[in-house]
Amino acid sequence: MSAMLELLQLAPVQRGFAATLLAGAGLPLAGVWMLGLNLIPLRFAMMHVALLGVALGTLLGMDPLLCGLLLCALCGAALAPLASHPQGLAGPLGLLMTLSIALALLVLAVAGVNATRAFELLWGSVLATQAADLMVLAIVVALLAAFQWRFHPSLKLMLHDRELALCSGVPVAALTVGLLVLMSVAVAASIKLTGALLVDAVTLLPALAARNLARSFNGILAWAAGLGAGGALIGFILTLWLDQPPGPVLILTMTIITLTSYIVRREP
Amino acid sequence: MPVQMNPARLEVSALTCRFGGRTVVANVSLRIAPGERVALVGGNGSGKTTLLRALLGLHAQSLGDLRLDGKAPGNWIEWRQRIAFVPQRQNGGQFPLRVDELIASARKGANPSQLAAAAQAAGVETILQRPLSGLSGGQLQRAWLARTFACIAAGAGLLLADEPTAALDFAGRAEIGALLVNTPVTALIVTHDRELAERCDRIIEIADGQLREQTA
Repeated sequence: MSAMLELLQLAPVQRGFAATLLAGAGLPLAGVWMLGLNLIPLRFAMMHVALLGVALGTLLGMDPLLCGLLLCALCGAALAPLASHPQGLAGPLGLLMTLSIALALLVLAVAGVNATRAFELLWGSVLATQAADLMVLAIVVALLAAFQWRFHPSLKLMLHDRELALCSGVPVAALTVGLLVLMSVAVAASIKLTGALLVDAVTLLPALAARNLARSFNGILAWAAGLGAGGALIGFILTLWLDQPPGPVLILTMTIITLTSYIVRREP
Repeated sequence: MPVQMNPARLEVSALTCRFGGRTVVANVSLRIAPGERVALVGGNGSGKTTLLRALLGLHAQSLGDLRLDGKAPGNWIEWRQRIAFVPQRQNGGQFPLRVDELIASARKGANPSQLAAAAQAAGVETILQRPLSGLSGGQLQRAWLARTFACIAAGAGLLLADEPTAALDFAGRAEIGALLVNTPVTALIVTHDRELAERCDRIIEIADGQLREQTA
């Protein structure tokens, strides 16, 4: 215990702790939106788009994370017109994922950059969080929360049923653009913490668990934030205590919480 | 019951709707006078639901001229505010929605007393806090009916209902049917319920994408 407390005195550990809590409490909102819009494959596509952004940033000598965020935001907005298509976004997302990874490899080859450096993002670490990363994360979480707060009644209807929202005067097309941009940016922002392969730990898993436990939309939002923050806190403490990599420990913790929610789920 | 009456005139000219490469509504024209109730009948897949969705701007592959009180749908959001819609599939949500939230969706900033009156008229005032997914078929129909009343109270002049009595028992069909046809509004009701159809002022049959008037 004393060793753990000593670790908590270190600045990188403190930044990691803050980032984990912030992501755990704030980013599950993006997971709730993904579930509501049936856009679970979005995160796979955006992980690859973020990688392309990192590759472009490396090529152009710009901040790789910022390039990843911007490219994800642009791709999210570009997908919006296709969201109302009867066949949904599954096809375009698959195409985007394949295209992004191909372009990322090409850009890295053209830039003469060792691809391993870019692929390090796939196994990111919360303990490597810098002050600037923390700031970016705080801004993204604030944007997500502000969007939900501003459009709460409309989003409640839209995430229940798109056509009910359309018949109720909700500007569904405009809100879809906002949601896609913010979800895409949230995925990009969480990559640095958990690694691209483990983004679900702070986005989708808390949302899935919340949907199992809540009986109302407001309840889902509260449970998702609470379980996300609680899981992140427990995962971070276990990481320090067990001296193991944070990404896998974090996602294992959230997986156990989510599995438990399936066992104790409430019927309507 | 709704406190405000504002029945609209619906005019549809040369409406064509395609679905999956097939024309399901072919160059259809229809006029419904203010306050008139029209039943739309036809076999499965004949285009009844597609026609209703086209009137709401929910069917993308539609072409034709629509008018409500002489005005075309320049802005679909405003157009839909003048229509109360009861869909066929009523409980397909990803997330839970309560009965009171469904009724309140009728209009942004709706008057709470109008919402309460709508709930009471449809007989759902005791289940307002229940999620839609936990309701029986009959309760769900009533919840949507309450939303319809709230829409009409807020100024909607046209009711579009897609098989509104499909999930009900005989007594429920008679009761809900009576409430629907006595609602002081213009109505186009898709139904397989012969009794409900015969309570309307006119019956129109749709087959092979064409409308054919029947004697009520």
